[in-house]
Amino acid sequence: MDASASAGAPAELRLKDLRPGLPNVLLLGRVVRVERRQVTRKADGSRRTVLSGLLSDGTATVRFTWWDPPAEGVDQGTVLRVANPMVREYRGHPELSFGWSTRLAPASEKELPDVPADSLPLRALGELAPGDEGFRFEARVRDVTSRTVTVGEEQRVVFSGHLADASGERPFTAWVDFRLAAGEALRVGGAYVRSFRGRSEVTLDERSHVERIAGDRLPAAAPRPTEPVPLGRVEGRGGEEDVPFSGIVVDLVSPSGVVHRCPNCQRVLSKGLCRLHGAVEGTADLRLRLVVDDGTGVATVNVGRALSERLLGRSLSDLVARLREQPDPAALEESLREQLVGRRLRVRGAARVDEFGVAVFPTEVEPVGPDPAAARRALERAVAETGG
Amino acid sequence: MTGREVAWRVLALELRASSEQEKGSGDRVPSYVVSPLGGRMNRVLVVGTLTPPEPAGGDGQSNFWRSRLTDPTGTLPVSAGNFQPRAQADLRRLTAPTPALVIGKANLFRGTTGGWVATVRAESVRPVDPAEYSTALAEAASQTLERLRLVARLRSPPSPSDAELTREGVPPAWVRGARASIARYAAWDPAPYREAVRAVVGSLGTPPSVLPTPGPAAPTPVPGTAPRPTVTVTHLAPPAPRPPPTGQVRALEGTLLDLLDGLAERSADGYADMDDLTELAVQHGIGTERMEELLNHLEESGAVEEPIVGKFRRTGEAASE
Repeated sequence: MDASASAGAPAELRLKDLRPGLPNVLLLGRVVRVERRQVTRKADGSRRTVLSGLLSDGTATVRFTWWDPPAEGVDQGTVLRVANPMVREYRGHPELSFGWSTRLAPASEKELPDVPADSLPLRALGELAPGDEGFRFEARVRDVTSRTVTVGEEQRVVFSGHLADASGERPFTAWVDFRLAAGEALRVGGAYVRSFRGRSEVTLDERSHVERIAGDRLPAAAPRPTEPVPLGRVEGRGGEEDVPFSGIVVDLVSPSGVVHRCPNCQRVLSKGLCRLHGAVEGTADLRLRLVVDDGTGVATVNVGRALSERLLGRSLSDLVARLREQPDPAALEESLREQLVGRRLRVRGAARVDEFGVAVFPTEVEPVGPDPAAARRALERAVAETGG
Repeated sequence: MTGREVAWRVLALELRASSEQEKGSGDRVPSYVVSPLGGRMNRVLVVGTLTPPEPAGGDGQSNFWRSRLTDPTGTLPVSAGNFQPRAQADLRRLTAPTPALVIGKANLFRGTTGGWVATVRAESVRPVDPAEYSTALAEAASQTLERLRLVARLRSPPSPSDAELTREGVPPAWVRGARASIARYAAWDPAPYREAVRAVVGSLGTPPSVLPTPGPAAPTPVPGTAPRPTVTVTHLAPPAPRPPPTGQVRALEGTLLDLLDGLAERSADGYADMDDLTELAVQHGIGTERMEELLNHLEESGAVEEPIVGKFRRTGEAASE
């Protein structure tokens, strides 16, 4: 440590360059999340306090554990200078551990490494996933609007819309006025991706750099994908605006089939009651909530009336007539399940990802037949690639 | 994520070679069968030829029915109890061996010889035509191979991070599965699975009803060692009916049911926990192996059910007396 200190400029490490087992590490980072815990030591049963959280410097975010921290703890947002932490690996990610030999001191915002945009890896929008940061991208602004939001006691104007490149499209939010205009081509560094309302959103703030470029190779809008995308990829990337996939219907979520909606708020009635408006005269509607699975992931596909009618080959009025003859919605649902479970579907639509999984709002739903020849070719190709 | 569990496309061999599980405890925590090939399976979708079901207990009044599903890599028991009325009705409609898709929950049980037995508790059963059969089988083999490659890659350093894998588009469920599998199986040998996939490729031209000739049953894997299953197809003859229980067995079953009721009544979730039940049974002079045998029989006869692995309760209408 002393040797490097006397050398004048200590070799500060960026978090993205952190590797397990590195000695004499010196780094700077902002505490972006922190919580205090009590742990019991196995050896003597004594209790110790630890702080654990996330440290970020704009190139990466790394988990830390701080043993026996100062009594006052540390506030979220604090920039720390950390000398001689231990670097371990957990599930392929480096992690920091601050122990007795680690020296920590607060540092100022200005000391955080200025991350020049051209030192960051260039990434395609379509590959971005929630939690990503420390990258740059080139994209075209497809659309942008502004609105005013209240953050704490402060009113702020935020700008949101969509960005597109050849790999796909992502919604964005900018917390700073970069004077973005629809159609412009940009090179952006220092943005990050977060999951917001089930969408994977690119976020630009004070630390982002925005530069106008010629963007000759950037399309005006992302091309519409046509090949089915594995659902596991959609899940990992935190949702898509318009994505095709195919899979097998493994279940039907209740209530599916003929439902009655509140005339005031369109909510589905339960036993004739609306959650908001109480007992109302409901309007009949047809909807299906299909669970579609491709083995890599699973999605709940919320099919509205028009697509449901086409998929079932039956109209809402037919189904309502049947219910009048045989007033048993459960039996109707069972017959729909019988018709649909085990069938292959091709679906296209917006996919949202939250803690309950992938939800799809489809623009297209159609039954497809099995294609044994294609499935066999894909298998033979996979066998050849694996080397038998 | 607490969402719905993905239906893993697996070949019979992979389930049969599994000897590890993650048991959920408490309310609504799912259990998983962890396979050597990176499967961490709560729900599976399997395809094969399904035999007409046998009533467990053999009295025709059973609430628990069991079929056998055979694909080119092996045979799996597929069952449906009272809590799967839909699947039970689907199974009971089968009058001859039929190519079918089965969607259901994967479970591991201790077999009578001490090894693990993988079963599928069916949720939906769907007879399929030869085109769907070949397609679903080829897809299961393709995904088996893809997962094999993922496990091989994560087993050889430097292992990529979860973020890198997500960037490549690897499904999060597969990453969790591969990591769980590597943590639980010290060693692995991918050769039998490659062979199994080749067996599937070879079978694809053949209609599903024309099955290869009977072979010996797959060996039971021993936990902690590399499983070496062979690619065989076990014969399709229905199992011999069980002899009726003796008076002594009935007395022991009665004792076990009393213990189970007592535990279930005192527990917060209404279930008797397997470990507690084992402990009590031993105190009452019923050995562990004997208890499992009795419990299996009670489950088969529909008196007891295990909706969560390791958690037992009486079914609504107790059948055994």
